[in-house]
Amino acid sequence: MLPCVENSVKVRRMETFLKKTFPWYGWILGSWFPMQYRKAFTILLLTVLLYVGGGVIVPGFLTLEQILLTLKLAAFIALFGLCQMIVIVAGGGGLDLSVGYTATLTAVLTASIMDGRNAYLGVALLVALVLGLLVGLANGALTSYLKLPPLVVTLAMADILQGIVNAYVAGKAITGRPSPVLVTLAARLTGVFPNILFVLIPVAVLAILVFERTKWEQILFGVGANERTAYLCGINVKKVRFLTFVASGVLASLIGLLLLGNMGIAFKDMGSNYVMPSIAAVVVGGVPLAGGGGSYFGVILGSIFLQALTNLLTALGLGDAGKWLGFGIILFAMLSVYAGNRRSR
Amino acid sequence: MDAARKGIVALPFEVLKRALLQPETSSLLMFSVLFGITAILQENFFEAKSIVRTINSFAPLILLAMGQAIVIISGGIDLSSGAALSLFTCVLTTVMKKDDPVTGVYALILAFLVALGTGVVNGLGIGYLRIPPVIVTFATSYAWLGIALFLRPTPGGESVPWFRVFYNMRAVEGVPEVLKSLGNYVPPALLLIAGACVLWYVVSRTRTGRYIYAVGSNIESAYVSGINTGKTQMLACVLNAILIFLAALFFVGQNQTGDARMGGPLTLRSIAAVVVGGIALSGGRGSVYLAIVGALILGFVGRIIFFANVPNAYQTLVSGIIVIAAIAGPAYATLRRELR
Repeated sequence: MLPCVENSVKVRRMETFLKKTFPWYGWILGSWFPMQYRKAFTILLLTVLLYVGGGVIVPGFLTLEQILLTLKLAAFIALFGLCQMIVIVAGGGGLDLSVGYTATLTAVLTASIMDGRNAYLGVALLVALVLGLLVGLANGALTSYLKLPPLVVTLAMADILQGIVNAYVAGKAITGRPSPVLVTLAARLTGVFPNILFVLIPVAVLAILVFERTKWEQILFGVGANERTAYLCGINVKKVRFLTFVASGVLASLIGLLLLGNMGIAFKDMGSNYVMPSIAAVVVGGVPLAGGGGSYFGVILGSIFLQALTNLLTALGLGDAGKWLGFGIILFAMLSVYAGNRRSR
Repeated sequence: MDAARKGIVALPFEVLKRALLQPETSSLLMFSVLFGITAILQENFFEAKSIVRTINSFAPLILLAMGQAIVIISGGIDLSSGAALSLFTCVLTTVMKKDDPVTGVYALILAFLVALGTGVVNGLGIGYLRIPPVIVTFATSYAWLGIALFLRPTPGGESVPWFRVFYNMRAVEGVPEVLKSLGNYVPPALLLIAGACVLWYVVSRTRTGRYIYAVGSNIESAYVSGINTGKTQMLACVLNAILIFLAALFFVGQNQTGDARMGGPLTLRSIAAVVVGGIALSGGRGSVYLAIVGALILGFVGRIIFFANVPNAYQTLVSGIIVIAAIAGPAYATLRRELR
């Protein structure tokens, strides 16, 4: 892949800072440690610190059940984070704020189709695929072919999707339940192990393989790192970015099915609460917002960190207010470490 | 000779076409058409009472859109403006006690300081840390939401009675008769908007105003020309925060309560108003006053939807479609021209 020099400079700078603050940090991270996992390792360290700190402050925070529950909830953030990462990695200021809303619309529509029957799962899947494809095609065409700012387009798309949901549920209750297969997959445990992890792990392995071992790595990361170079190498930059939005839309729509399985019912803003965490997870996980770098492993660790933080704040009785304030501050702090541009100018 | 005649015939059309392609012209045209339709649909549109009501219902969006326009012209964007508006209403209604008129003054001072603080934080991220504006303000919007939820988990709170002057001067005792009769014709909302316009007029006549345009159109060359780009973007954010503060005054005057989630939908609407008004999202071009036109267009569209008996549930859907159409239309025209 095209090495993102600027990015590794930032990592180095952060490491020097960390080495000064914690002398043992440099000892753990020898030169043998792969570059792309260094940020991820830092997040892992932060998560462990959070858990140890939480276990000291709140008794009963550091138990196996708690950790597994965290993993289960973090899995959804991580899945939404994958949508977000695909779009962000391809660069060009890409960002998909419509993911949660796509999921909501899918959940609301398919709940009444399935209505607790396995037989209609295929139809529901088809509906989800078509819906995700439509949203993704619209987002991709508007952003990459009409060159509109992705943020405004996807924000407006979020409004449209939420508007459709509002209009659909206006004046009546949302009926329907997910099919038992989805419930087993998303909500149940096998022993103490949440089943959703059996979805996340293959997805993660596949994503990491695709991102780091195939030619897609070069195309996707190349476009993100330097679109001019990628263009001169014969890559159709517009098409790649278009396809990332399509992939994000389809994935988000499928996650909507899982979300429905986890919740058991569909409601108006079931997915919208995941938009902010998905972006925060990507940023915390060390994916540069300018594109062209990062690993999905980091994103998963980032979502675990965020979910652990949410749990700790909830255990401290701070609830929603603390969660959003904490997310805002963490995102801002991480951005000023990673995304700031202090060099030229 | 044939070609020449063709040229003479085609010239007025060319001029007309070029004029129509100007963003200002099309937004003003759209405004007048919508104004006409609303005036026809609403019977008592030109009565004084009804005009006051119209201005009152459009005022918060107009103020937010003006602030948004300043930030967008300086090369940024503010996704936190709605959340900031909610935060200020929560601060105001938490500090104020119904029975103690003096608390209103404290609330005003404290909320103004909070407003300056939000502007400075956004400006710090955009101007000095140089994080992409989109994502900084996305992060801060959740920070504001969190603080607002701490102060006011559910909508409510109380306000001193005299705060109604920001909504309706007649409703407050002790206001001089002159002001009351003035309030009949010039509602406080209009005064707030006029204040915002004066503020921007003064700023735009100073060096800072020109710097804002320079930084927005090309930040590198602005920096090379010796402009302090960080400070300029910070000032744009602070100006935006002050305008949002004015909107918060109006909102609390109107409702006497604070609500941590009230402003959320207004963020996209304010961006939409700026785009519909014909201000380039890429920054450096367009006039802040066009944002007022854009906000009025959105407001009139809402009115017409209301008259067309479309249920309230469709409002979000329609506003989303309008935003997409408003930004995709000009982009499509440019694309067509480039391809030719």
